Amino acid sequence: MATKRSSSSPERSSSVRDRLRWARQDISSVLPSLTFAQVAYVLISPFFFLFGLFLLFPVVYTIYLSFFRYEGVSGDTLFFIDFGPFFIEFPQIAELTFIGFGNYSRMLGDGLFWQSMYNTTYILLIQVPIMIGLALALALALNAGFVRFKGVFRTAVALPVSANIVAYSTIFLILFNETGFINYMLTQVGIEPVEWMRSEFWARKTIISAVTWRWTGYNMIILLAGLQTISTQLYEAAEIDGASRWEKFRYVTLPQLRPVLLFVVVLSTIGTFKLFAEPYVITGGGPTNATITIVQYIYEEAFVGSPNLGYASALTVVFVAIVSVISIIQIKLGGDD
Amino acid sequence: MREQRRKDAVWKFLTYSFIIVMTIGMMVPLYWMIVAATLPQEEFIRFPPRLYPGTEFFANFAVLHEETQFVISIWNSVFIAVVYTALSVILCSMAGFAFAKYEFRFKEPIFYLILATLVLPIQLLVIPLFLMMAQIDWTDTFRAIILPWLANPIGIFLMRQNMKSIPDALLESARMDGATEFQIFYRIALPAMRSSIAALAIILFLFQWDLFLYPLVILEDPGNYTIPVALSGLEESRRINYDQIMVASSLAIIPMAILFLVLQKQFVSGILAGSLKE
Repeated sequence: MATKRSSSSPERSSSVRDRLRWARQDISSVLPSLTFAQVAYVLISPFFFLFGLFLLFPVVYTIYLSFFRYEGVSGDTLFFIDFGPFFIEFPQIAELTFIGFGNYSRMLGDGLFWQSMYNTTYILLIQVPIMIGLALALALALNAGFVRFKGVFRTAVALPVSANIVAYSTIFLILFNETGFINYMLTQVGIEPVEWMRSEFWARKTIISAVTWRWTGYNMIILLAGLQTISTQLYEAAEIDGASRWEKFRYVTLPQLRPVLLFVVVLSTIGTFKLFAEPYVITGGGPTNATITIVQYIYEEAFVGSPNLGYASALTVVFVAIVSVISIIQIKLGGDD
Repeated sequence: MREQRRKDAVWKFLTYSFIIVMTIGMMVPLYWMIVAATLPQEEFIRFPPRLYPGTEFFANFAVLHEETQFVISIWNSVFIAVVYTALSVILCSMAGFAFAKYEFRFKEPIFYLILATLVLPIQLLVIPLFLMMAQIDWTDTFRAIILPWLANPIGIFLMRQNMKSIPDALLESARMDGATEFQIFYRIALPAMRSSIAALAIILFLFQWDLFLYPLVILEDPGNYTIPVALSGLEESRRINYDQIMVASSLAIIPMAILFLVLQKQFVSGILAGSLKE
């Protein structure tokens, strides 16, 4: 396995390629001196360094921030380490005033917080079942033996996922414009045009159709792959027992597909929960805050106008806790053990 | 028997109609984008609208190019996503390999910690990251957009699950032949994981490609904007019309569409190669 390359005589050539090879040999002559266990630490340490710095620390720091009022960026030094020639200074990240659970109690009486929670849940409860249902139906249809041009249909249905998140939101903005394509089609079949962006009901439906359009194909691809792993022998056995189409779906397909379906449901739920770009672009949260989502509200508290980073952090903590609990419940309910 | 055949025919008809209706539904917004991108503004906003494309695409593009730095934004987005994907794939497969095939202290608790972060919407760590980046003067840089998401929990999870399927005997025999641990990693483990790496690459590329809130907060100079940030800026600027935004949107679809079309097959097999069985 170890292909030892005999080092060519140095005076013969010093081309770039040779030099690279020597460099590699130099490096590999150092590497094998590590023991089996040390290799593991070398392999994981870059990941852990970044994981700790940019994921664990921000999570902890968000929780910490949620107990403070943010006063501004700080120039002070939190602490420093003096090694003589090396002087490492850790700056204090922000100027903060401790207010205990103040941010959390403010949340209880904050109408806009409840409104945004309600909007997000409303969109989620309608959008995710519709999307998963459509994706599953499409996957089943494209998995049927008699369907031709499968590749073409599959690619066409999955293409929306390539659309940039803000780009597709803008496309939906002009599609559902008062003088847009959708209203034109409605008038063609004799239905009164709808003022999509002016009514609470229809503005939410616009967001739901946009999100569904983009992600149905992506989920369909994953579900289709799951369907293709189900052994045909199971279907043949069911056929011998005289199972109908519905019974085959109910007693063979669904149980076999459960892990894939669970994966898709959990990811879609998290995805719809953190909706931001679509309402930000299509409706701007309106009309009268009917489509403002929780992430959009966090963004506005934190970065629009005066920065309430403490309050926005408290919102983030509550929101992330809710999403995590829901995901865990889904996994517990859907997993087989 | 004839009854059965008629039922089957009806079923086929329904299946095909469903597929075709859905396909048309998926195509309408993209078609409308192209119609909007190829018409002059006056013609586009007319009601009833013109339903077929025009010939003004390049004229619209010229205005877009003159008034904005959108072409640079496409380059920025592609550059950031490619660098991010490459680095993150390396990082996640190294760590995933360690978790799948080595023993080290606190392995189990650490893995469960990573697993727990899998359900966190990590894009929401914007506030602490923004403060950190502001403190070390990294705002408005690409490294601030790339570095924080390199250690992506979904990446290590996927690679660990898939690398478990590499037979231990294969690694052992390589060790017998005198291969070093690193040679085992990049000569045996990585090539065996080709489809998983393709799947992970799509997931990570899409993750970075879709980041909107975070770059919106971090990036200030229009010359550094990524596509989503630039597009949302176009929408707020009064000089730019929807026809130009649709030109920008059409261009923005191309990189991701190419990646998706090329890696579609591997995406499917990679994501299923054991990742869902646990």
